[in-house]
Amino acid sequence: MLVFREPLPNIERPQMPADVVIVGGGPAGMACALRLSQLMDQHNAKNPDAQLSRENIYVLEKAREIGQHCLSGALLDPRSMRELLPGFEKEAPLDSEVTKEAVYFLTEKGKFKFPITPPPLRDHGNYVISLNRFVKWLGAKVEETGITIFTGFAGSELLLDGDRVAGVRTDDKGVDKQNQPKSNFEPGYDLQAKVVILAEGTRGSLTQQLIARFGLDHDCNPQTYGQGIKELWEVPAGRIASGEVVYTLGWPLTTNEYGGAWIYGGKNHVVSLGFVVGLDYPDPRLDPQRVLQEFKKHPLVARLLDGGKMIRYGAKSLPYGGWWSIPPVAGNGWMILGDSAGFLNSQRLKGIHLAIKSGMLAAETVFEALKKDDFSAASLSDFQRRVESSWIKDELWKVRNFHQGFEHGFWRGMINAGLQQFTGGRGLRNRYPSTAGYQHLKKLAALPADGGDAANLIGPVRGDGKLTFDKLTDLYHSGTKHEEDQPAHLVIHDTDVCNTRCIKEFGSPCQNFCPANVYEMVDDATQPNGKRISLNPSNCVHCKTCDIADPYQIITWVPPEGGGGPNYDGM
Amino acid sequence: MKILVCMKQVPQKDAPLKLNESSTWIREDVSYEVNEPDAFALEEALRQKEKHSGEVVVITAGPARAQQVLREALAKGADRAIHLEDNAFVGLDASNTARAFAAAIQDEKFDLIFTGLQSDDYGYAQTGVVLAELLGWPHATIIMQIEKTDGGIRVKRELEAGYFQFVDMPLPALLTIQSGINKLRYATLIGIKQAKNKPLRKVTLAEVQSAMGANMQKIERLYIPQKTKNTEFLEGPSAEVAKKLVEKLRNEVRVL
Amino acid sequence: MADAILVIVEQREGKLNRVSWEALTAGQALAAETGWILEAAVAGSGVTTLAHEVAGKKVAKVYALESAKLEPYTPDAFAAVLKQFIGSKQPRLVLMPHTYQVRDFVPKLATAMERTAISDCIGYKKDGDKLLFTRQMFQGKLAADVSFACDVPWFVTFQNGAFRADKVEAGAAAAPVETVNLKIDEGVVRNKPQEVFKEAKQAVDLTQAEIIVSVGRGIKEQKNIELAKQLAEALGGELAASRPICDSGWLPMDRQIGSSGQTVAPKLYLALGISGAIQHIVGMKGARTIIAINKDSEAPIFEIADYAVVGNLFDIVPPLIEEVKKARAGG
Repeated sequence: MLVFREPLPNIERPQMPADVVIVGGGPAGMACALRLSQLMDQHNAKNPDAQLSRENIYVLEKAREIGQHCLSGALLDPRSMRELLPGFEKEAPLDSEVTKEAVYFLTEKGKFKFPITPPPLRDHGNYVISLNRFVKWLGAKVEETGITIFTGFAGSELLLDGDRVAGVRTDDKGVDKQNQPKSNFEPGYDLQAKVVILAEGTRGSLTQQLIARFGLDHDCNPQTYGQGIKELWEVPAGRIASGEVVYTLGWPLTTNEYGGAWIYGGKNHVVSLGFVVGLDYPDPRLDPQRVLQEFKKHPLVARLLDGGKMIRYGAKSLPYGGWWSIPPVAGNGWMILGDSAGFLNSQRLKGIHLAIKSGMLAAETVFEALKKDDFSAASLSDFQRRVESSWIKDELWKVRNFHQGFEHGFWRGMINAGLQQFTGGRGLRNRYPSTAGYQHLKKLAALPADGGDAANLIGPVRGDGKLTFDKLTDLYHSGTKHEEDQPAHLVIHDTDVCNTRCIKEFGSPCQNFCPANVYEMVDDATQPNGKRISLNPSNCVHCKTCDIADPYQIITWVPPEGGGGPNYDGM
Repeated sequence: MKILVCMKQVPQKDAPLKLNESSTWIREDVSYEVNEPDAFALEEALRQKEKHSGEVVVITAGPARAQQVLREALAKGADRAIHLEDNAFVGLDASNTARAFAAAIQDEKFDLIFTGLQSDDYGYAQTGVVLAELLGWPHATIIMQIEKTDGGIRVKRELEAGYFQFVDMPLPALLTIQSGINKLRYATLIGIKQAKNKPLRKVTLAEVQSAMGANMQKIERLYIPQKTKNTEFLEGPSAEVAKKLVEKLRNEVRVL
Repeated sequence: MADAILVIVEQREGKLNRVSWEALTAGQALAAETGWILEAAVAGSGVTTLAHEVAGKKVAKVYALESAKLEPYTPDAFAAVLKQFIGSKQPRLVLMPHTYQVRDFVPKLATAMERTAISDCIGYKKDGDKLLFTRQMFQGKLAADVSFACDVPWFVTFQNGAFRADKVEAGAAAAPVETVNLKIDEGVVRNKPQEVFKEAKQAVDLTQAEIIVSVGRGIKEQKNIELAKQLAEALGGELAASRPICDSGWLPMDRQIGSSGQTVAPKLYLALGISGAIQHIVGMKGARTIIAINKDSEAPIFEIADYAVVGNLFDIVPPLIEEVKKARAGG
């Protein structure tokens, strides 16, 4: 019997007052905390009699350690970091400056190199980094300022007071598989906050609650997502230079799927490589982990990795709906930053610098609000104005229709992209619509039995154990660990749909799109189709793909007990 | 009851380990966590404090990163922490570690000292017992339960093969605590906040050096155990295979 | 005194335990390797008969270390007696089996003599004229060769099963036995142990089990676990499982082996119907001997198995249980 996690009812919870609660210790959350601290320092120096205190400013981070759940390629555009910490390059853990770029279009065995790197993919001046290490460093700076970062604590529920967000409830700890308190049960705290800043990253769970509660998305395009799936490799010396950046398009994807790969040379012969697969592909049998393994078989990649060792694996979704998918980012007692809002440049495939900038702008708004002690919608909407008059808007406006241009396939997308390039992002009209990715999924009945063109993207990988790996082996290298005795945090609202409808219509795509083997259809003679949905929740890498991609939209991802999740050391 | 808990920071249980250049230790670029048996020792100390009031002090010897273990302990309810901070503490043998601890606590008057029964990295199970001898205290190992008595304490000791034994001991005493004897408590938000203001005394290597000597043992070489695994396939009808297996169990594996 | 190795054997309730013979085998091997003479000792109250039993093996001399205060066992008494004896004899090497009892007093004894113990060793090597002792570290993930950097006597304890009890050589003639009466002063023994008793274990500690019989998905149904349980009982071992079995609730979570369960390094790991996914392997690959039974000849578990049976576990386990029972009964 599957029992799903929900906050225990009728429990007395400790109350803790707070000025600011930042949910999420990623680049956006940390930049916000750091900037706020800087502004407070400046203020306190000038106003010794009216000091602002950091005592009640908190960052909630669900991972056991700062940075542990941060995963990206990654390439950092230093623009916002230079504003936040001028001269940061001297002390930040940067792998190397980008020295060389190439873009390839791949066929099964061949490759065509773009003679000129398309401008959006030009990375000179950017840095290859490990986001995990970068955030660890940033987090240490935040802690030095005296702001408390609570690691191992998740924001599990928003506390609402009418139309005001009044705070955050943290996760209940010590709850067993049946959702009953264990002997070491600790109830989640109710943090009564003046403002809750949601910096949860992609598809934030509290962000989703907020959007649903206040209908924040009724004027926006539906957010669309990709799944980034990554492996970190140690390769023999000389294979790739530190700072060398490669992008690929084409194989193994067909024109029906959106996506491409990256390969970044880091330092000490460590290579970051991965694939981004748009979660709007038509065949529900597609398995992104398999796409990555197929990609590695291409001679370009196989040669690079030959004799090397895979040291880490991970996956995360990314929002690339662009400007038109971003909901209002501030309201009565709340703000939304970074990937949670959707500040990602899908054309350049970069969002870290935007997340950081959004955090800084939010801090400026919060600082003013703290001085006036006014956290109403009117006061906090200052953040919305700041974003719209900043370079975040400039940058995202130019690419506001980029991903939507691909709604009807690769070639249409390229044409649209070209048009948009010359029209400041407008293309054929100011706002291209989009549809949510899961609505692109076709039913099995409408697809060739063997997958047709996409045949090699379908089916689990066995792997040779050297270049390619089966999902479980890959998953082991994500360092994922959770308290085992807890309720399932992948809340399926109606398992009958899984067992009776989805299995027939779509063939249970959760087994395929989950990069962590959380979902399995196991034999069950009592079910009409002989199988029932079974979960391995402790495998979860917190990528949120299931919440995004399930065709019936009946899965809600909620944070498991804090401290659990992947360990993206070095990612 | 004034209780000292000796704690150690060790590489995370499933961290991928790499050998250093000289193959005498591991590369330190791994994730660390508290030695699991020590977490149970701390939990037991906190429970004793809850029952009999008193103070729980935690101590560790290690580099700056080891402070994390102390912070977590303070967040869970320990009152004070002592950090013997120096990279050199990592390479000490059990005897020297115990000597360093003894020197650091010479001005304190503890009733009880707990350690975990062994560390997940070295697995020697010695530091606690050595410390007891240096202090001249009675000790008992692999303890499951502790009760206060008029004359001191009564402890339940775990023995092999499902046997147990109660032992009466005077105080002060040192106990090495068995893992898994109770459920570990979670640190709370308030606990974490309060931990920031709890006393954390740093002790340098120089301050305890005179109590120590040269290491009495040396790791000459650390290596990945070579599995000279020649998998022997046993074939034949089931009854025969069963006999072959038993023959292996008796003569090669020596369990029969 | 000539260079000597002293093996201290262990007795419980008037009986020598098997690991004592293993320690003696170790002593004989080291004596042959170094050329040092081998002597043995047993400590307790009324242990002369046991000393004679040891004297039947190939050993130069056996000592019965007598004191009424040695019964029942306390670390204070044992450390006091052995310190006196070893102090007077000055052997180069003192060997003991790594039992719960030895763990309890050897660090105290070594420290009292300003020496150190290399404990839980699985073997030894000679590197030139240096003696190295091998032990597992990081829960079996790595091995270390450790040397002594201090004066003799050197204290070494050996892990259960590191040497073979049945390989201990008999002596050509009975060795001389000397009873040594030792005095323990008043007030030295501070602990007051009560009677030893047996109790059903609340939780299972698989890390202490020498023999583990483990089941995976190949066991198919919950009721079939009974078969594995019988095998475990016949072998005197513990029952364990891979994650899916525990997830389904067929066995409690404290029997789970793997990256999200226990990591074990027993003498024997018998994997029944376990495929060998890496998550499970990392929890048991430190086992000294691995036997795997699986229908799938390509199951990854076979890559790390010492003995492999490709076949149906339901055909093989029942006769195996019978054969084991026969062997145990003295067949």
